[in-house]
Amino acid sequence: MQKESAIREPLILGHKTYKDITDDVVGPIMEPASLGWKILITISSIIAIYGIGSILYLISTGIGVWGLNKTVGWAWDITNFVWWVGIGHAGTLISAVLLLFRQKWRMAINRSAEAMTIFAVIMAAVFPGIHMGRIWLAYYVFPLPNQFGSLWVNFNSPLLWDVFAISTYFSVSLVFWYVGLIPDFATIRDRVTKPFAKKMYGIMSFGWSGRAKHWNRFEELSLVLAGIATPLVFSVHSIVSMDFATSVIPGWHTTIFPPYFVSGAVFSGFAMVQTLLLVMRKAYKLEDYIHVKHVEYMNIVIIVTGSIVGVAYLTELFISWYSGVEYESYAFINRFSGPYKAAYWTMMTCNVISPQLFWFKKIRRSLVATFILSIVVNIGMWFERYVIIVTSLHRDYLPSSWGEFIPTATDVGIFIGTLGIFLTLFLTFTRFFPVLALNELKTILKSSGESYKNEQVK
Amino acid sequence: MANSKKYWAALDELEGTEVFQKLQKKEFQEQIPVDEFLADERHGATTTGRRDFLKFMGFSLAAATLTACETPVIKSIPYINKPAEVTPGVANHYASTYYDGLDYISIMVKTREGRPIFVMGNSKTGLGKANARVIGSVVSLYDQARLDGPRQKEKSISWEALDSKMLSAIAETGRKVILTNTILSPSTQKAIDAMGFEQVQYDPISYMALRETHSTYFGVNAIPSYDFSKAEVIVSISADFLSSWLTSTNIECDYSAMKSPERGTQSKHFQFETTMSQTGTNADVRTMIKPSDEGNVVAGILAAINGSSIKNLDNVTTKRVQQAAKSLQKSKGQSIVLAGSNDIATQTIVASINQALGNYGETINLEKPSRSFQGNDTNVADLIADMNAGKLSLLVTYGCNPSYDLPNAAAFNEGIKKVKTSVCMNGIADETAIRSTYIAPDHHYLESWNDLSLTSGRIDLVQPTIEPLFSTRAAQESFLIWSGFEITDWYTFLRMQYNVNYSEDALYSDSTWNGAVHDGTFAIAEQLETPNYAAFIDISNALAEVSNRKGGAMQLATYVKGAIGVGQHAANPFLQETPDPVSKVTWDNYVMMSRVDMDAMGLNTYIAQENPASVVKVTSGKHTVTLPAFMQPGQKPGTVSIALGYGRGSEGEKIGNAAYQTGEKGQHIMLDSGKPMPIGANAFPFTSQDNYDITIEPTGTEYPLASTQLHSTYMGRESVVKETNLSAYLAESKKKKGTASWNKAPALNVHEDLNRDGVIDSRDKKPVAEFDLWNSHAVEEVGHRWGMTIDLTTCTGCSSCVTACHIENNVSVVGKDEVLRHRDMHWMRIDRYYASDFSLEKGEEEGVGVIESYSRMEDPSENPQTVHMPMMCQHCNHAPCETVCPVAATTHSNEGLNQMTYNRCIGTRYCANNCPYKVRRFNWFNYKGHSKFENVNPAHDSLARLVLNPDVTVRARGVMEKCSLCVQRIQSAKLDAKKKQVKLTDDLISCACSDACAAGAIKFGDLNDKDSAVYKQSHNNRSYHALDEIGVKPNIFYLTKVRNVDSNEA
Repeated sequence: MQKESAIREPLILGHKTYKDITDDVVGPIMEPASLGWKILITISSIIAIYGIGSILYLISTGIGVWGLNKTVGWAWDITNFVWWVGIGHAGTLISAVLLLFRQKWRMAINRSAEAMTIFAVIMAAVFPGIHMGRIWLAYYVFPLPNQFGSLWVNFNSPLLWDVFAISTYFSVSLVFWYVGLIPDFATIRDRVTKPFAKKMYGIMSFGWSGRAKHWNRFEELSLVLAGIATPLVFSVHSIVSMDFATSVIPGWHTTIFPPYFVSGAVFSGFAMVQTLLLVMRKAYKLEDYIHVKHVEYMNIVIIVTGSIVGVAYLTELFISWYSGVEYESYAFINRFSGPYKAAYWTMMTCNVISPQLFWFKKIRRSLVATFILSIVVNIGMWFERYVIIVTSLHRDYLPSSWGEFIPTATDVGIFIGTLGIFLTLFLTFTRFFPVLALNELKTILKSSGESYKNEQVK
Repeated sequence: MANSKKYWAALDELEGTEVFQKLQKKEFQEQIPVDEFLADERHGATTTGRRDFLKFMGFSLAAATLTACETPVIKSIPYINKPAEVTPGVANHYASTYYDGLDYISIMVKTREGRPIFVMGNSKTGLGKANARVIGSVVSLYDQARLDGPRQKEKSISWEALDSKMLSAIAETGRKVILTNTILSPSTQKAIDAMGFEQVQYDPISYMALRETHSTYFGVNAIPSYDFSKAEVIVSISADFLSSWLTSTNIECDYSAMKSPERGTQSKHFQFETTMSQTGTNADVRTMIKPSDEGNVVAGILAAINGSSIKNLDNVTTKRVQQAAKSLQKSKGQSIVLAGSNDIATQTIVASINQALGNYGETINLEKPSRSFQGNDTNVADLIADMNAGKLSLLVTYGCNPSYDLPNAAAFNEGIKKVKTSVCMNGIADETAIRSTYIAPDHHYLESWNDLSLTSGRIDLVQPTIEPLFSTRAAQESFLIWSGFEITDWYTFLRMQYNVNYSEDALYSDSTWNGAVHDGTFAIAEQLETPNYAAFIDISNALAEVSNRKGGAMQLATYVKGAIGVGQHAANPFLQETPDPVSKVTWDNYVMMSRVDMDAMGLNTYIAQENPASVVKVTSGKHTVTLPAFMQPGQKPGTVSIALGYGRGSEGEKIGNAAYQTGEKGQHIMLDSGKPMPIGANAFPFTSQDNYDITIEPTGTEYPLASTQLHSTYMGRESVVKETNLSAYLAESKKKKGTASWNKAPALNVHEDLNRDGVIDSRDKKPVAEFDLWNSHAVEEVGHRWGMTIDLTTCTGCSSCVTACHIENNVSVVGKDEVLRHRDMHWMRIDRYYASDFSLEKGEEEGVGVIESYSRMEDPSENPQTVHMPMMCQHCNHAPCETVCPVAATTHSNEGLNQMTYNRCIGTRYCANNCPYKVRRFNWFNYKGHSKFENVNPAHDSLARLVLNPDVTVRARGVMEKCSLCVQRIQSAKLDAKKKQVKLTDDLISCACSDACAAGAIKFGDLNDKDSAVYKQSHNNRSYHALDEIGVKPNIFYLTKVRNVDSNEA
């Protein structure tokens, strides 16, 4: 058993016992759904259905229902894709990287952060699919043996790397998340009384019996998976950034992109975790497990990554001037002074200035401020991708082709729709899944629980 | 030769024994053990259980569903009896001639499986430079609006019934008139004469003043022939001779040849004009004048040549007039002065200038004048008066549309109601046709025989390339029948004009005639005219007249657009979608105004998807048009310009679906009157006015204009457009490629001591061509390597290449709303850049910040210099699009082509994003099936679809497409050369664009062939790659633009 300094702030507040933890997590699953949950899922499902309808309209009619044109071939589609992938970064970072660094505070948030990752990656995967002109031929991107012999995919294309990166990341994250869920499912299985639920949780817990051998394998597997997942955290968004970095378009062709994108992704991922958890802890009365200290830790990650992103923005601007390339320098001047300057300054304000407020301890530890800022950050991060994609494309090399992009209702509908689908999935998760890694939390109860610490101090 | 060998499988086959022949008839030569197989009891042992059955069924269902996702394949039926001259898959070409009253061009018609699909110039006749209008005209053959037989008002009647009614109408007393455009066909003229009617000719664009001047003074009542191939100095006053003035394409050809700086000098072109015309964009020195000053400018030129003082002109114009006069004096006998005005005083002074310069007999010729434009405005006015007085018993209209394009069409339309019997020969129920008692539809020009003679000494033939699609009849045949002539068969009549002994059995035996039909032209002996070039021209009255001319504060000029002409092509979707060479606006008519005037009136000067144009009301006398205003750099402040040829079908006539404005869903926009909204408004009534004065007022409403180019300046990006002036060029014309100051090859700094001066600094530069990230494709010196060179100096921006490419490659027409959304599909476009007054350097000097400088650089000068830059796929050897396609749908061929595999494309659009030239086009919709395009896209129409080129796939929705360098033409030329066992040289191969280029600016060929024009051009020291420094190594070369302009003239 690990020891922790007594004066360090406890991670679990109140006088909790092991049973309390189980009760707090499993309780809501066994009770009937609350009214709030029902209202929320109704709203989110309606939005989701609207989004699905928009997607079907898009697929049946053609990409022309979006606002894209001959100059701007990607806009909301890839913006949304990168945004969702970015959000999908926090979960794995929390569970894998923080696991390797033995950060115990991750235990309260990793389950839901990982769930969020999975759902965000699913949402992200929607866009490369539906942005294709001929989605019914999407299987062409897989290196499948075919009757044409040497007809093979193009391994030079970053878009193909994306296919591999996203699918690998998704499968590893899913496995990692599920492995973590197994002992918790077993706990629920042992608790629930309704036969159907018992049967389902029984199946999902893979016959977990809590034997020492099981725990031993569980720990080892978690560690191995964390080892595999850690490089993925960095590779996925690096590869996504290469969609842009390997191109010849001024504003895209930038070697700084991989680290810049990764930190941006972590930045937006943590912001999204904040947004969701601050609501969830209230709704599920988990204030003792996810408390101000957790929020503060995450806010520190947000300051760090937000500052990296800010430095990256300024570096880009500097290099555009320093390079002496007229196209490059124009691309950046156009970003902050051209037709899309509003998007640029929104991005700057939301991503560079607003997270700096977290230097103030008061703001950093204020739940309301954190909630607002987390949303601001995600708005900013959406605009970051929009700025990179649209403002670089809309005025590139030949002024004759300069144009503008104006979104249509379908562009907006699909984006809002993915938010709806995402929320629906997340709400379903909170209803039927253990929202905290309860068995993991139990391992720190004695070392980091408030009442135990108090005893030590005495 | 090679096929005398015979291969055989067995001796029996060689000898053809009986056994072999018997066996050969059997599909399976050995007994197939069917019975044994069925009798085998083991097969009975296997059972397909219920579960298996369901599994198979499920699989089949899923498989069937998946297959259903593919684009359906439509099978066609082959010939049962193949016509001897038609081989499926092989095109036949027929020489013919196009003449519609405006354009006169020898053409070559390409037919596939018996249907004409493409019209190109027939360069062998000397009049064979096709323009956009003529190339686009092929579509009109398949117009659903064409009449399928004669009509009495709206009722279909038979030809016999029409003939009997006509014969009784002819028998009546009263004035009988046939109103035509200028008839250039001697045989048609005879057929018309046979009827014994009075004939009145008119031209929508009247050149009467020009003709009368030459008649009055030189004794030749005709338009002179202008020889631009000898013109070192050209001074044009409002004549748009590269687009719509006389035989513009043939002028363009000679004009461009004189522009080529390789001959050691360049022609010098001064243009004085109101409207920024396509010709004006090519002028070396362009001066903005008001229409009322045209006379003063010519008078000024004459004065300057004679050394007297220039009157009535502002300082800038006076200076330019002096420069022009100075240049003209240096090139006596080698210059042309011309005016577009239909004003006798102006034309008289111009004739006097040309006479003084000794141009007559040199560059201007009246011995073999042009027979075109013989229209007589006075006779037309007289006719209309008689019509309204009820004096006409019969009016035949042939080859013209007076109800639309007469300046006083309203009076004509009133008058025609009072004519007892009127007959219109037009093939479409257009403005004139629906007002006539009868319509006797003529064949389309691609279905008819005719002879034409533009100048003395030659006859050009029109031959049919397809059986008439409808129950139409040659107008000449109608004339012959109505005249009671003994020969009523038009073809026999035509043949007999050249061979009195012609009989039908001589159909194929007359080799002279056959040769002429094959060539499309033949020479005849005709006497030359004998003009008196030295005649005294009395200009005193003319000078007095022009100096008294006073224009108002706001004046109007009308002009003709390169693609639409005078309205005959209004229903042609390809031509409506061809961007105007100057404004780049499609599908619309507008009022061109200067920025100053627009700002003063508070009108919107920036046009884009969300920035509609402000609508203004222009009134002159009784006529008012309401049109959107368009900011046109180069438009003289205090003037507006409106194009002719718009507003066709304003009464909802059925002249074709594409003639009406479509809305967001592709539906026709309906006016409050319940009629479909025509495209633009008719400006012909303005052409009748004696003065140019108008009033203009904003209406406060807005109207979207769809332009293919939203930004007009090239922002100082000199690696896109390179230009210099003649003296700078000549100073370094012998330098090696990449070294002259006006075409420096880009170089990048490297961290090595390249110049061996001991230090590594900014002087250590390596040419971009030497940097290479990838292994090069083995394209140099290996096999063919297709490439193109485009001379920016000679390109006039006429856009015939755009239309030719559009039709050749089945590029989708997408309609106004999609163009507005910046989604035009043109594989080939012409980027038109205006010069800006501002630059970063100037900004630095004036202490203006970079941001402000860039924003000012977006504004063109008030009277800018212009560059036309044809832009299509550059077929980069290091193509950025190829590396990013995840499925390798765009790849490089071993002949240097960047090729698209449509079947493989999944439509990620990554390639288009990564294309520095933005030439890739995406199929946003199913253009051939989506209801949004049914009024504009010919592929929707079962008839118009026949114009599609069967050699080129019609692309599916969701697929990327772009210029293929006409790979279908390359393939077919390669096959032809192989069959003929000859080397594939330049003259055997062309792209649609290079073929259509009257200026000869676009050249296509094999860069590996040292004798090819492209090889030579690409090694010319003017040649460069657009955006060379990004290292994509294109196979398309541009040649630096050289202007014959001194710094003090710019």
